[in-house]
Amino acid sequence: MRVRVNGFERELDARADESILDVLRRELELLSVREACGIGVCGACTVLLDGEPVSGCLLLAPLAEGREVTTVEGLDGSHPVQQAFADAHAFQCGYCTPGMILTACRLLEESPHPTAAEIRTAMSGNLCRCGSYTKIVDAVLRAAAGPV
Amino acid sequence: MTDPRVSGGSRYAEDLQLPGMLHARIVRSPYPHARVLALDASAVPETCVVLVPDDVRDLALYGCQIQDQGVLALERVRYAGDPVAAVAAATPHEAEDALPLVDVDYDELPAVFDAVEAAGADAPLVHERAVAGGAAAYFAMRPQPGTNVCHRFRIRHGDVETGFAEAEVVVERTYRCAGAQHASMEPHACVARWSDGLLEVWTGTQTPFNVREDLARSFGLPEERVRVVSLPMGGSFGAKTFVRTEAIAAALARKAERPVKVVLPRSEEWLTLNRHPATISVRLGARSDGTLVAKQVTCHADTGAYADCGPGVAQKMGFAAPGPYRIPNVWVDSFCVYTNLPPNGAFRGYGQMQSTWASERALDALADELGIDPLELRLRNVLREGDRYCTGETMHDVRFAECLEAAARAIGWYEGREGKGLSLVMKGMQTPSRAAVAVEAQDDGTFVLRCATAEMGQGARRAISLLAAEELGVDPSHVRFPDADTAVVPYDTRTTSSRSTYMMGRALVEAVRELRRSGGRRGVGEVSDQGGLDPDTGQGVASTHWHQGAAAAEIVVDEETGRISVSHLHTAIYAGRVVNRPGAELQTEGSMIMGLGTALFEEVAHVDGQVINANLSDYATPAFADLPDRLTYDLIERPGAEIHGLGETALPPVPPAIGNAVASLGIELHDLPMKPESVLAAAEKKVGERV
Repeated sequence: MRVRVNGFERELDARADESILDVLRRELELLSVREACGIGVCGACTVLLDGEPVSGCLLLAPLAEGREVTTVEGLDGSHPVQQAFADAHAFQCGYCTPGMILTACRLLEESPHPTAAEIRTAMSGNLCRCGSYTKIVDAVLRAAAGPV
Repeated sequence: MTDPRVSGGSRYAEDLQLPGMLHARIVRSPYPHARVLALDASAVPETCVVLVPDDVRDLALYGCQIQDQGVLALERVRYAGDPVAAVAAATPHEAEDALPLVDVDYDELPAVFDAVEAAGADAPLVHERAVAGGAAAYFAMRPQPGTNVCHRFRIRHGDVETGFAEAEVVVERTYRCAGAQHASMEPHACVARWSDGLLEVWTGTQTPFNVREDLARSFGLPEERVRVVSLPMGGSFGAKTFVRTEAIAAALARKAERPVKVVLPRSEEWLTLNRHPATISVRLGARSDGTLVAKQVTCHADTGAYADCGPGVAQKMGFAAPGPYRIPNVWVDSFCVYTNLPPNGAFRGYGQMQSTWASERALDALADELGIDPLELRLRNVLREGDRYCTGETMHDVRFAECLEAAARAIGWYEGREGKGLSLVMKGMQTPSRAAVAVEAQDDGTFVLRCATAEMGQGARRAISLLAAEELGVDPSHVRFPDADTAVVPYDTRTTSSRSTYMMGRALVEAVRELRRSGGRRGVGEVSDQGGLDPDTGQGVASTHWHQGAAAAEIVVDEETGRISVSHLHTAIYAGRVVNRPGAELQTEGSMIMGLGTALFEEVAHVDGQVINANLSDYATPAFADLPDRLTYDLIERPGAEIHGLGETALPPVPPAIGNAVASLGIELHDLPMKPESVLAAAEKKVGERV
């Protein structure tokens, strides 16, 4: 299959019945994309498909054919949202963080100055079992306050 | 440097790849209790390696406190989910496809799913006999022969019947707590490899030395022939302790002569380890002025089909049950009971959430009967500096009253207490316990810590590195903390019970002193805390150092739907000294949020021994939408005070604070979680009583 991943055109081996999550991990070693629930409810495997957050565990790989997939490795490491998460200490174990960051990136594109309540609603599909939620809200508010 | 958690660079055990590595999946019993009549794996393709009973008959039983678990269940399965075989293949999919090709014949046996029932004389026995021992068995086990009770812990202090005779008001209540699932975002994962008789295991574990001991015991190896590397974990909360999937990985790797990786599918987390369901009966007596005179508590902790650290959990449940109060006559019986449910083990709070729920709810019931304000009743009886606890130990650096008053202030207790609730917690730290750390000076002026403390997101490595930098007088960037590897780090009890910052912090002072004194390149520091309790009397030292905290909740109940909304949740936690501010805040917030899940909706549901909500859709963990309108806390510090670990303290007081707040509206709930249907039933009862 052909897919644009993090800005690069890729030709990848993928079976018709596997998820983009498995393909990104196996073929490209994009290990930030992680399976936690496997049923699309926890957000840990969130990737952006043409800019929209989707669950990598539910998206069949062939459906990404010809489209653009972004993982957290595709941000430059000092993206304002990444920086805000680091500055706000918005994580503990870090397992859910890539999905949180990508969801927050999309939220801030759509709504550059969300309220805390809007952030909680927009990110309600991302679970953090460590319970870092209040600091994640702080991080998104912080990112919103700076240039995105 | 970008934090790997934001750049996508974090690596966990599930990410590890070794050359030639196979991927394993586990064949599990569908029956909660059955004899295994036959097992036929001949249909599995030859490209797979199958682990069958004959491959593990030479391996000894393992178990951190009681050796009752085989690498595979052989003649008998004891819970629906008990491993009976395992398959390794080039890909996880191939291994998965082979699972239904393993044909097993079972003969079902009678089973028991409730701890109180299981402790009775007529219950089917889950184990005929089991042997206790090992480094994690730090107290004498008291199994009750001929029953499913694998440990009984008692406190006998004063004369409880004389005490009740003096009491003018006595309340008697029974409380229950459901099982819960840790639901770490990262599932259990490990890789095992054999090289020249050396077993190497890379695993996300809080207990590398206990895993080493148990694997060595099972495989008949000297401990030095087992190397355990503890990789950073994507959460654990007690789940990644002791042997979980490591023994199966090691046995498969031995047979395959290749490295084998196990990553548990999400649903199998519920079949691997949960939190102890408990039934706790409390009888509490006071004089009419509110002076507590007697308390009797009976706890039944359901440890599931294998004991794991259940005896320790039941013991801590028992010794925390009297609560942080002066009570002259105390009688506690705490039973750790086998049932045919999946094993239950360590879970943030370690038994003390359950007994705090019961005790703090009972105290409010007593306050109600006495007509005394619950805060006043607590302050009148609370342990203070130099008091002796019912175990006989003298309490030091006692801050319960301070925590309680801070919590009460935060929710405006004196401005009307409708919909408000308070609770207190005393939580023990692993006692006895040992910690050691080596500090190694490098040529470039940096330092390396050789330390077994495991990282699971709690920030222990950051906190210990900050303490090391402070002792060494260098910038924290000059301190490195590699993953704990039992081949190179000194022995440590384990990363549990919120002990690591406190214990390792003290060991570090010794290590740096030793480094300086020797003028050499390496200093080793070791600390050892003595103590422990007599299991028959509960006398001794339960904890060299108590974790202390209070919670306050303000809630609204929708009597139409039964929904409890928490408008304000506050905890006041004694920190002594905060080492790593963001880490301390995160651990406290995380404990409170997990406590909220325990209070309101988390429950491992089972029918006829089958877990029926083993996925993250049917089993809800707290999400953004569940946060209270206000979530606040105090981390109380005092100059010169000891460091108090903060990994768990804020969890146990949350459910009873919410339960007491609900009770202030006349809705008495006895069971966790406080589901809307129980609220509706209790509200109906209230209306009935009014009529």
